[in-house]
Amino acid sequence: MLKTLIRRELLDNLMTFRFAAAVFITLLLVVANTIVLLKDYEQRLTAYNTAVQESHEALRAEKTYAGYSGTLVAHRPPNPLSIFNLGLDKQVGNKIEVYHAFVPTIWDAEKHGADNPFLNLFTSIDIVLVFQGVLSLLALIFAYDALAGERERGTLRLVLTHPIQRGYILFAKYISAMLCLLVPLLISLLLSIILLTTSTTVALRSDDFFRIGGIVLTSLLYVSLFYLIGLCISAMTRRTSTALMLCMFVWGVLVLVYPNLILTAVDIVPQPETQISVYNQTKQMWEKLDRENKQFIRNDAVLGPPSRGGEDMDAGFGLEGVEYTFWQGEDKPSILLYFHQTGLYAGKIKAESEPQVPHVQDYYDFYNRETINTVQRTWLVRKPALEAIYVKPANLGRMLLRFSPVGLYDTATEAWAGTDLEGIQDFFSTVQRYRRAIVDYFYDQKIFESRQWFAADKGTADWDTLPQFSFQRSDTGINAKRALPDMLLLLTMNVILFTVIMLIFIKSEV
Amino acid sequence: MWHIAKRELYDNLNSLRFALATVLLLALMLTNAAVHLREHPVRMQKYRDAATQSLDTLTSRTDLYDLAQKGPEKLYKKPSPLHFCADGGHSLLPALADAASYFWGGRNLKAFWRMTYPSATPNLKNIDPDATKIDWAFVIGYVLSLIALLFTFDAVSSEREHGTLRLMLANPIPRHTVLIGKFLGAFISVNIPFVIAVLMNLLVISTSSAVHLGADEWGRLGIIIGIAMLYLCLFLALGLLVSARVRQSAVSLVILLLIWVSFVIFMPNTLASIASRFSPAKSYDAFQEDRRQTRRAILEVYHTQREKTDDPSKRMLIASEYVTEDATQDGRVRQEYLRERISQVSQARAITRISPVAIAQHLLEVFAGTGLERHLQFVENVQLYAREYHEFIADTERSDPESPHIIGVRDGMSKKKVSPEAIPIFEDTLSLSKDFNAAAMDLLLLMFFVVVLLAGAYLAFVRVEV
Repeated sequence: MLKTLIRRELLDNLMTFRFAAAVFITLLLVVANTIVLLKDYEQRLTAYNTAVQESHEALRAEKTYAGYSGTLVAHRPPNPLSIFNLGLDKQVGNKIEVYHAFVPTIWDAEKHGADNPFLNLFTSIDIVLVFQGVLSLLALIFAYDALAGERERGTLRLVLTHPIQRGYILFAKYISAMLCLLVPLLISLLLSIILLTTSTTVALRSDDFFRIGGIVLTSLLYVSLFYLIGLCISAMTRRTSTALMLCMFVWGVLVLVYPNLILTAVDIVPQPETQISVYNQTKQMWEKLDRENKQFIRNDAVLGPPSRGGEDMDAGFGLEGVEYTFWQGEDKPSILLYFHQTGLYAGKIKAESEPQVPHVQDYYDFYNRETINTVQRTWLVRKPALEAIYVKPANLGRMLLRFSPVGLYDTATEAWAGTDLEGIQDFFSTVQRYRRAIVDYFYDQKIFESRQWFAADKGTADWDTLPQFSFQRSDTGINAKRALPDMLLLLTMNVILFTVIMLIFIKSEV
Repeated sequence: MWHIAKRELYDNLNSLRFALATVLLLALMLTNAAVHLREHPVRMQKYRDAATQSLDTLTSRTDLYDLAQKGPEKLYKKPSPLHFCADGGHSLLPALADAASYFWGGRNLKAFWRMTYPSATPNLKNIDPDATKIDWAFVIGYVLSLIALLFTFDAVSSEREHGTLRLMLANPIPRHTVLIGKFLGAFISVNIPFVIAVLMNLLVISTSSAVHLGADEWGRLGIIIGIAMLYLCLFLALGLLVSARVRQSAVSLVILLLIWVSFVIFMPNTLASIASRFSPAKSYDAFQEDRRQTRRAILEVYHTQREKTDDPSKRMLIASEYVTEDATQDGRVRQEYLRERISQVSQARAITRISPVAIAQHLLEVFAGTGLERHLQFVENVQLYAREYHEFIADTERSDPESPHIIGVRDGMSKKKVSPEAIPIFEDTLSLSKDFNAAAMDLLLLMFFVVVLLAGAYLAFVRVEV
């Protein structure tokens, strides 16, 4: 009996104009946008590859180890799954310096240059966004007359004269509509995957297909939820036109108005103060370091005299053969970043300065060690402050967004694609670990205290044995773990709505 | 006709959709006002601080050579008080043009300033989820159009379904009167919640002391509301057209929604992204290479000419020529690059005019003084000012009879002190007539769409079988 019911519903749905039109529009939009996004991805990948190549060469051109500041750069590759959900992949910086004098975070990153930044005026539409708009609309269009229409036409009464449980009818309607909705979803996904695999630049790994599977599953839950919302409205109203109109208002509110309204309204909430005290604290730690440095130099018998370093901190230490001295640092109160470093570069140290060299080496050993300790101390206060200023408000917006299924769908698919905040943070934690590895390598190889730190005359820096930076996107398991809470919420909403509809439908008069 | 309009109006006023539309529009408009009141003073303060700082630097210079060499500093784009009408990708457009000199000129020579056009600095600190700003453009472009469709989708088809259309047409009324009546009825009933929401929004904004709206702004607001009405007519006509063609009102709404989704939500951005690939601008690297070559060529000419003579006064002339040529040619390459990038975007935007929402968006941006058109006007203002500044330097130089009149080297220029009042000051003005020129095409296109759809609705209704 259930089979007959499903077959009837399926035929009813498949042979309609709305079905054909919806499939056509979904396909058109998905294909057109996949092409756009693919080109965009290719561009970003090219920019990434050039940038990696350039920084590789720039680092090799440095002769002293101290020259790695500003030239040792980690680059974030674009995520191929950003075609499904762009998330933060394009928005956040993708180029970050690795340096022992600060801990790299998402806020310190910069961006690869774009050829025409004006083009950012056009928003990119990813596949999830198309599904978000079109499939939800489609689900409502399938649902609005499922019950109200049959009641209006009187066919519901006829069906119920048979000895069938009401639950079966509901179930049959649900299954057949979901089967119909699967058609545009799967065909358009298939087409976009074909487009992706034919492109030579996108290399999808086998676990990427699991992630895409996760996205499909989430899409299914999302579409099903909208179908149930439609069905609920349909069960509650007497007339199809009222049901349809209500459905459209609900759609407009949930998909179009609520997400944008809530994210705009979050701006009215007072922003947390930039924790200037943390910044001042950081600065004080650096000033303390400066004082200790001066103390160290003053106490040194050779470097001590004012002409060489001493009081006015001439970074050249009066060494004969210094080509230039440098001061490097950042002072950005808005991201609580403060650091500075001094250094020198000597092409060839003259013989008369030779006795001074071991002292300078000693000094740099001390200076770099203390710098790293200071950075560690500042990081302890900077990290929680950054979380409070930036991460918390952003997460508040995301949390409020979850009141609409659209928000749940968006965050869950972002998590699957790895373009969510946590996915991006993965990259920056990798960079932080890499910075640690570099520092350890410098300690192990005694590079901070070596002559090659600042002079290029007796042996130059060997960049080939330096640890290489590599970034792997997180495992599918982790993606799944991040997506699961939102998917579960979607599922719960589905179950609750289904039960509600059941109750309404069982008690309703035909 | 009025009778029909009145009947439609009463029908609508009692309906659920009217209540829902009112609530929706009010919520959106009030949020818009609240956000504007919060953000606008901050934006203005930031602009004022930056502009004052750069002006102070400029007026602190008294030496003519310094003025000529260092240029008029950074020039800032003035934020529009009507920002709440259209955000226009505010954060995606550059906020300034830079007219300072930090270029290397050559041995013993300082390069002259030229206009540089920095790109917008993207807010990389932003880790919020992506969202469209709730501005009037959003409310009108997306929500109002959806509401218009929801008010008209069953205007004809449901009456036909119920059989009331037959009854009505049995009376001696011409069909076009019925149609116009229905159109007017729907127009007024959508306008009631819209106008209420707009008035509430303006009430909140204008009573606050944080934002000052002048006569010019009120005029612009009037135009914007007019555009909104025109845009509303377009969707009402579309709704009537489909409603007259289709037997069932449900099918009519389905068709309308699919048209709406593809034209309003997806078409503008997708089309623009595709279109922008057809005429790619020069790549950034190619532009830098261009600049390097141009400057190197000029430097080489300078060196060879300098070798030829030992006469200091002649050398001064050559240096002056080099410095001026370097600044003009480099400035030209920069301007060319900017022009290319802008024309790429403009072409892409032109193609999006297929979609009425894109037209409305452009029009609102133009009259609100935000967005790309506004930026183009800013660039034009900046270039005019640059010319004025150059003339000022040349005039001051000419007015000093003791100077050797060699602009470009310190010793060749007037030593007289320049008073701060004489220095021209950059003013970023907006002119309504220019805005009209920029908007004319879009306005005509919008009217054309309205007329075509109304005619279509009329034809469809006249031929409809009852």
